[in-house]
This record gives sequence, structure tokens and C-alpha cells, in this order.
Amino acid sequence: MADEKKKTINRLKSMYPLRAKVNETYLKSVEAIQAGKPAVWAMLNFYYGDPVLKAMDVEVVYPENYGAIAAAMGVAREYLDRADAEGFPTHLCGYSLTTLGYASRMMKELKGQIPPEAPLGGMPKPLFLMSSAAICDARYKWFQALGRYMDAPVWPLEAPIPGIKEFFIEGYYGRMVKLGVKHLRDFVAFVEKMVGKKMDWDKLDKTANLMIEVNRVWHEINELRKVNPCPMHSRDFWSAMPAALFLAGDLEDSLRLYQDMYKEVKDRVNSHIGAVPNEKYRLVFAELPPWHSLSFFDKLAERGWNFVIESFGYHPPIPLDLSKVSDPLERITKFSLQFLVGYYEDARKQNVLGGTSAYPYLKYAKEWKCDGAILHPLISCRSASTHLPYVSDMLMEKLKVPSLSIEGDIVDLRLFNPEDALAKAEPFEESMEHYRKVRKQEGLDW
Amino acid sequence: MHFAGVDIGSTMTKVVLIDKSDNQLSCIKGPTGPEHRRLANEVMRQALQQASLQIDDISYIIATGYGRLNVPFADRQITELSCHARGVSTLFPGVRTAIDIGGQDAKCMRIHDGRLISFVMNDKCAAGTGRFLEVTATALGIKLEDMGDISLKATKRIHISNLCTIFAQQEVIALLSRGEKPENIVAGLHDALASRVAALARRLGIEPDLVLTGGVAKNIGMVRAMKDSLGCEVLVPEEPLITGALGAAILAKEIYTKAVEAGQVLPTKSRRLEKATFFAEEHR
Repeated sequence: MADEKKKTINRLKSMYPLRAKVNETYLKSVEAIQAGKPAVWAMLNFYYGDPVLKAMDVEVVYPENYGAIAAAMGVAREYLDRADAEGFPTHLCGYSLTTLGYASRMMKELKGQIPPEAPLGGMPKPLFLMSSAAICDARYKWFQALGRYMDAPVWPLEAPIPGIKEFFIEGYYGRMVKLGVKHLRDFVAFVEKMVGKKMDWDKLDKTANLMIEVNRVWHEINELRKVNPCPMHSRDFWSAMPAALFLAGDLEDSLRLYQDMYKEVKDRVNSHIGAVPNEKYRLVFAELPPWHSLSFFDKLAERGWNFVIESFGYHPPIPLDLSKVSDPLERITKFSLQFLVGYYEDARKQNVLGGTSAYPYLKYAKEWKCDGAILHPLISCRSASTHLPYVSDMLMEKLKVPSLSIEGDIVDLRLFNPEDALAKAEPFEESMEHYRKVRKQEGLDW
Repeated sequence: MHFAGVDIGSTMTKVVLIDKSDNQLSCIKGPTGPEHRRLANEVMRQALQQASLQIDDISYIIATGYGRLNVPFADRQITELSCHARGVSTLFPGVRTAIDIGGQDAKCMRIHDGRLISFVMNDKCAAGTGRFLEVTATALGIKLEDMGDISLKATKRIHISNLCTIFAQQEVIALLSRGEKPENIVAGLHDALASRVAALARRLGIEPDLVLTGGVAKNIGMVRAMKDSLGCEVLVPEEPLITGALGAAILAKEIYTKAVEAGQVLPTKSRRLEKATFFAEEHR
């Protein structure tokens, strides 16, 4: 894109130290390996296995997150080409291809050494890998393939993923919790064996509570974004989320940083300061953004587009009082399940039953008063794409909010054309203007 | 007062001049081509000549199409979606759905009171565009403009993949080598393109009146295939290539008139008909 350096979005100062948590995580994992301590490659698991690893002092890096970093820092292409040369089909998940290319370069070409060009110090050879099927169906196979390169065991952390109707079968929730706790107990035993030490249950208890509190504050920050003008853009959300979503870095430090962010956002609310200079349109973004072309959002901000809310999959669970749950494994399980099922009761009432991911967008569009939705179906990702037509239909049918679909990919910038996407912005504004009038006619309040 | 719309498409450049009562004074079409893209001034010169006007007679000029930034004398640029919607609704006031199949993309639009309210586009793959027919016509050794009439002679319609233009081209060559009649292949190609575009339009929701525009709408075989695929009547303008330029001219008139009524003076570009230059040339 031309004029890449022009920044229109008014970024939050408190975002930067949270964003730096990601760097800290990768550097710590490399240091851990150098000091003979364990480091693990894990799949995003939605607060399920992470607290266990954290309590066992295991440094964790996330290949999925690393794929996004490699894309954002412009080095993914080399790894994609390498994965291609290894024979992996090009239509596989962009994150998986990037990390498979990375693994091939590290293990086959450099004999276990971290590639010198790897961003943020790279991902060191892991003691083991932890995969998770939460939300994404391809993760087991991806991690099995990574495990082959790394010559390391892979623990698949099973997570129940009920649909909305099944969830309301009598006794279902209790059985899910029981299953989740059992899986976690088995996982703890596996980690103990791999690391060679016993779990410190008091530490796990404290870690679980900190995780829940970090995410509660993060949730409250996002609630503040409902005001007009919205004080925080999606770009700040994406930059700040790893400390809550991946538990990146020290949790006590993260809690303080999110509290700082809450104060800054609250100050902006009180002073009516928006994240874009003249907020003209409020938008929801679904699903994963084009990490390689984030300056695209600055171009849209110049037109007064403020992205006020984004993918449900990155948002913290709706707060739930778990203070009376004494077993930390049960507390962790219920918190992780809450991420998935926290919207189900409302979704059932609204009769929006399309899997786990559609209803939150209706809630967001209504409560955050969105004029439009930008849908980003990913050519290499089923999980982040298959529900989007249903989301688009529901937004129009129930809220008269139009959607614009822009195809692309999370990693492979060859599949995303920012100029073409920007050319659609102007006609989409016509669409948003039209449906503003329609919503007023139909008695909707924005 | 006179107004101009200039539509620089991927294949054709179109200019429409109108007066304050929306009467069409001239309409010129020419190939865009790599060099012509910078020669919008030549197409405009011809349009002025046809209408017996001078460039200074034009009160406001709007450029549209993918090459709209290459029109140095245009006062404003508006996207082709908005211009097509306005042009089509001028010709067919009852239009609710418009499909424009050009050389580079296919656009499906929902229109309400002459305004665009939603749209979807096929812009990443040639298989849903006029390019699909261009490439396969070459493989068949026939002229693009003859495809419509040839397809009317078909005795059967052959199923051809619409997934990829290159696959379709290979399929055409294989069918010819098996002795299949060209007219049957052409009919199959029309069905393939029509089903792909119809699927795109269904995503948006089809509501009559439905109007088909773009170069592909000049192909009678494609119009029939679209009717079959969509299952509804398909209206086609007399000149389906110029709806974007016409819409641009109408919007130019509306914007200009509104400004005059409000006592505003709109900034306009120099009325010199110059060839567009590009950044690299300017700094050589």
C-alpha cells in the first residue's frame, strides 16, 4: 500500500506495554531453553491448559500466534514457500503452513538451531507440544505434523464443544464440566512427568484467580467501547489481547497493565475522545484480520470508520462468579467453558442457533451500535469462515446492519488486495447510510 | 449546462455526455488497452465532437471504473458500483437487482430508489467474469462477439467446469478433440458462467426487476443462460456497456445542481484534454 506510515488511529498509550508482553513471552522461552528449563509449543486453548503450564513454570509459545507475528513482520513468505517445498498443500491453514515451514527450516536445515531471521527471537525446540481442538478442527493434525519435525510428544487437550441446542439437554453442563476436569487432571499428570516435578496446587489456585481477574478487567475495558465516539479501535484490541487470551507474560503485571488501560479508556470516555478523529461509521470486524496489512485500517480511519468491536473468538468470557468453586481444575474448566457457552442462553432466546460463533456478532452490533460489519472470510481457514454467511444474514434480518465481505488470508498476503478492498469502502458507505434510515424506520435506536 | 461521465473499465472506456434534462448528447466507446488507459482525453474529444461541444461547455465531470484515477480532467471520482446503480435505475426505474459482468469482475447490486443498498463482487477469479468467455473463445477459434449467435444453434448443452478459467480452456480443447460441436460447447460455457454469477447474485438476494449490463450482456446466449440460471426475467439495456458512464454523468449533474442550489462553487479541474501521466514518467 502507498503511504504505509500514515497513522490516523489514535492509539492507546497503555496498549504498548501490553503488546510488549508478546515479545517477553518469546524471549523468555528462548532464555528458558538456554537455562535448561522447559518450554512448550501450545495451541490457543481458551484458558484451559494455559494456567496449568503457567503454574508449572513452563514457558509457552503459540505457533498460531507466531504465524500472525511472522505475517505482521513480513517474514511469513519464506516459511510459506518452504512449506510448499515440503509438499504441504497451499490451501492448508496459513498459520499451520508458516509454522511447518519454520519447523522444517529449523530442524532440517539448521539442525535444531533457531532460524536467525525468526522474529522476536524465534520459537525454541519444545519439550512437548500441546494441541487443542477448541474451535478449530485442524489443530490436532497440524500439531502432529509439527511434533514429527520437532521429535517431541504431542498432548491433545480435549475440549467439549457443544452446539446451542445440545447444551440445553438436561445434565449436559455437569457432564461437560466433569469431562473437562478429568482431562485437565490427566494433563497435569502428563506435565508433571515431562517436567519432572509435582504440581504446586496453591500456585495453580492463584494462577486461575489471576487469569479470571485479568479477563474480567479486559471485559470491562471492552464494555467502555460502547460509547460514541468509541475510545478504542480494534487495532488496540488485537495488540493488547495476548496477555489475556494467551496469558502472555507475568499475570500480576498484566493485571496492573489492564487496570492502567481501563483508566486510560475511561478517561477518553469522560473526555469524549475517539479512537479515530471524526467517527462517522461504527463497525464490527469478523473474524481474523489481515495481519500483514493492518495499515489498511488506518486508511479506513481516514474515512471516519471506527472498528469498535471484533471477533468473538478473541474476547474474554462473560464474567462468571466462580469464587465458591474450591477445586482450581473445576474453576478453570468452568471459566474456559464460559468462553464458549456464555452467550448460549441469549442466543436460544433470540433463536440464533448457528453454531457457537454467530450470536455474539448480533449482540455486538446491537449493543455497540454498529453501522456495518466487515467480514473477512479466510481462504485457508474453515473455522473462521463457514459461519460468516449466516452472520451476514442474521445481521440484516434482525438488525438491518449490512455486511461487506472481503476475502483474504491471515498470513498469505498474496490473497488479500488492500487497494481493491478500499475501493469497496465508498459504495459500502452508501449501503450503511441507507440502512441507518431503515433502522430508524423500524424503530431501532441507532 | 452539460455533464460528462467517463468510465475507464478494464476492457472498454466509455464516455457519456448529457444535458441538464438528462438527454444523452453523445456516447463513445473505445478499447481501454494498456496505452489507451492514459488516453481518456482522446475518447472525451470524440464524445465532444459527436455532441458539437467544447470541453469548457462541460460543467462537471465524474470519472468511474477501475481506471478512474487516470482521468486528469475529471472533477471527481466515484466508484463504478455507485455509478452503475444510478445508470441502471435511470434506464429502468423499477430495477431492484442489477448484475454487471465486465472483463475483469462481476458485480451484483441491490438497488432501492436509484441508490445502491448492497453489493457483492467476484473480483479474485476470472472464472466468474467476461474473461472466462474471452479465453475460451480463443481456445475455440471463434470471435467473442459471435459466441451468442453460435450458441443458439446448440443441440445439447455440455456441462463445463466453472471453477477455473484455465481448467475450462483445457476442457474446451479436450471436447473439440473428441469431436464435440463448437455450438454445444459454447452453450455449455454460457451455462457455466451464468451459474457462477447466479450463485453470487443469490448470495445477495434476487428481487425483480433484474437488469443485466456489461459487455457480456451483449451476448444473447449469455442472456438466455442467465434467465435459466436465475429463473426470472432478465432485462437488458439497449446499450449495456454504458450504464456506468451514464450513471457518472447523472451523478455529475445531481452533485453540480445541488451545489448551485446551495450557493456553493464546486472546485473543478483544468479543462485541458491532456493525456494522463504516471508517477514514474513525471519523475524521470
